[in-house]
Amino acid sequence: MTAFGLAWRTARRYRARAVLAVVGVAVIGALNFDMLMLSNGLLISFADLVNSTGYDIRIAGSAGLLARQPIDNAAALMTQIAALPEVASVAMMRTATAAVIRPNRPADGVELIGSSDPAGLGIWRSLTGSNLDGQVGPAGDPSLAPAVIARPMADRLKLAPGSTFNIRVRISGSLSAMPAIPLRVVGIADFPFESQDSFLVATTMEGFRRAHGGVMNDQAEFMFAQSRPSAGPDAAVAAIAKLRQDLRVFSNEQVVANFGRNAFTYFRQISVVLSTTTGAFSFLLVATLLTVSVNQRLGEVAALRALGIARRRIAATLLWEAALLVGIGGLFALPLGELLAMVLDRILRRMPGLPAGLHFFVFERQSLVLHAAVLVATAVVASIYPVWLAVRLPIAQTLRQEVVS
Amino acid sequence: MRVLTLLAVLAATLGAAAPAGPPDILVSRQLLAKAHLAVGDLVTLAGDSSGARARQFRIAGVYEPTPDPMKFNIERIEARLHLDDLLGLAADPADPASADTVSMINVALPNVSDPSGASSFSRSLSARTPFIYSTPTRDSENSTFLVIDRFHTAIAAVTVIGSTAFLLALMVIRAEERKETVGVLRLIGISRQTIMIEVVVEGLLVAIAGAAFGVLIAAGAQSAVNRFFQARYDTAVVFMRISPAIAMRSIAVAIPVGVVAGAVASWTLLRRGASALVRR
Repeated sequence: MTAFGLAWRTARRYRARAVLAVVGVAVIGALNFDMLMLSNGLLISFADLVNSTGYDIRIAGSAGLLARQPIDNAAALMTQIAALPEVASVAMMRTATAAVIRPNRPADGVELIGSSDPAGLGIWRSLTGSNLDGQVGPAGDPSLAPAVIARPMADRLKLAPGSTFNIRVRISGSLSAMPAIPLRVVGIADFPFESQDSFLVATTMEGFRRAHGGVMNDQAEFMFAQSRPSAGPDAAVAAIAKLRQDLRVFSNEQVVANFGRNAFTYFRQISVVLSTTTGAFSFLLVATLLTVSVNQRLGEVAALRALGIARRRIAATLLWEAALLVGIGGLFALPLGELLAMVLDRILRRMPGLPAGLHFFVFERQSLVLHAAVLVATAVVASIYPVWLAVRLPIAQTLRQEVVS
Repeated sequence: MRVLTLLAVLAATLGAAAPAGPPDILVSRQLLAKAHLAVGDLVTLAGDSSGARARQFRIAGVYEPTPDPMKFNIERIEARLHLDDLLGLAADPADPASADTVSMINVALPNVSDPSGASSFSRSLSARTPFIYSTPTRDSENSTFLVIDRFHTAIAAVTVIGSTAFLLALMVIRAEERKETVGVLRLIGISRQTIMIEVVVEGLLVAIAGAAFGVLIAAGAQSAVNRFFQARYDTAVVFMRISPAIAMRSIAVAIPVGVVAGAVASWTLLRRGASALVRR
């Protein structure tokens, strides 16, 4: 009989303890797998989100992406950027705090976005209806600016494509009050960069200007550019940055790297701590069970040795036992880990202000490989002491003790 | 260019400014170290990155920023100015209203102990002023920590399930080991109930001892974890604190785990007859 066969029979003979060990490894392995997914999940998710917009360069004011300091002389800058040979297209975005005004109802605060790109710079998805260049009204009423609104807002205010609503912007740092203007809903979409329950209204730059009473300063919160494939994003970033000193220009790769350095580092650190802890826990579990099991079977092992079974085969049997417990537990850990990751992700995504498209637990091949490596290491390390016990067993003395006891 | 977060505080914080010379400011410990400044130095601050309308200030002191878990990974490069000085620095001369603009107003209600009073005041203010967002400080930023608390609780629940399986396996092995002894005990008249209580108590003791040992390890690790993260992020935030309530909770969780493990282990022994237990 092979060492594997012997290990399998041992596991079947001591079924209860084998099942419990497999359950323990599966549960702890699932947590370990989740922590490995968490370590890079946010970065992968954020990179997916950023790369899905169709633009590979982000341009912000001198304070960077987070401070939202506006870019001055935006129209001239747009023209300059569009003329660069490294750039294929450029678009700008403006944002303002606004309120939806309904008769006899309290105003609902919204974020108003003005976009020079009718497709919204890739900031919305799963569109119902059309983009900002879609049909505005049955008769194409030019007085109504088009709007793509967030799904939670559409659900709460009972708006659908074709509905009209009034919006009034707030003029920051001023006591002025703007009159409300009507907007017509052309599309309802998910905004993955905003929190799940955000009220958002995206309109054209013309709609945004009208909301500001037809008078608007020449600024932009962000600009997005797409590099030409022949030039690549790095060359385009360098070319745009040369245009003006007060710009901060980032490729998507730089944005993701910056996010990796500054955002949610707590979760990456806790994932390292917990994956180490769970690895140690799995080792303890398997090592303890195997050691206790070998101690219980010392007579059996001594008898096998007395029958002429080589030390190496005894060691291989114990190694196979560890591999069976850890391997089967580790396999069960994968679906269990996916299930647990869904639960944990749902909990964490309730964090206020978190972009709706961001996920904490993202499956990647590297996590799977690391998970397998941790389990293999656990099985090998956990079996060292029991193997040492078994192969150094004094055969005659052990058999005698067994008979006497 | 480095962005300075300018926090306005009331004049009372700094005391009366010197009648002559530049006004006083306080700088954070981090800013003092990073910019190689010293108390008494003169510094120039401007409200925008171009350095327009810059003014000189004298560093009157240094402060440790209030530990804020929401900002633990942000470098606290901050300075505190008298509100008048900040408004003078940040106001736009082209917009007279900007000198009368503040970012936030803190309101103290007469009855601080009544949490519903803050909520109703907040609702009332929000209803009357559409662009003013008000929230009770008791609830502000709490939801983030509630989410993190739930996340940690979920992880703790999973580890408890894993630990239960571990303890169960150990107890089952122990029960198997003592099969013959238990058979003999049964044969000499010891009741099933007594044996069951013995195994359950053993499981309970192992679980409670394990939990107590875990609390000791956590208490020992507490200072190392805090020191590491406080040095890593240059903050005074306390990341880990083993309170008596947490220690008691972890020991309380161990009790049902021990009872279940002991009960299952005793069942594996007692479901068989005494003769089956002693049979070789």
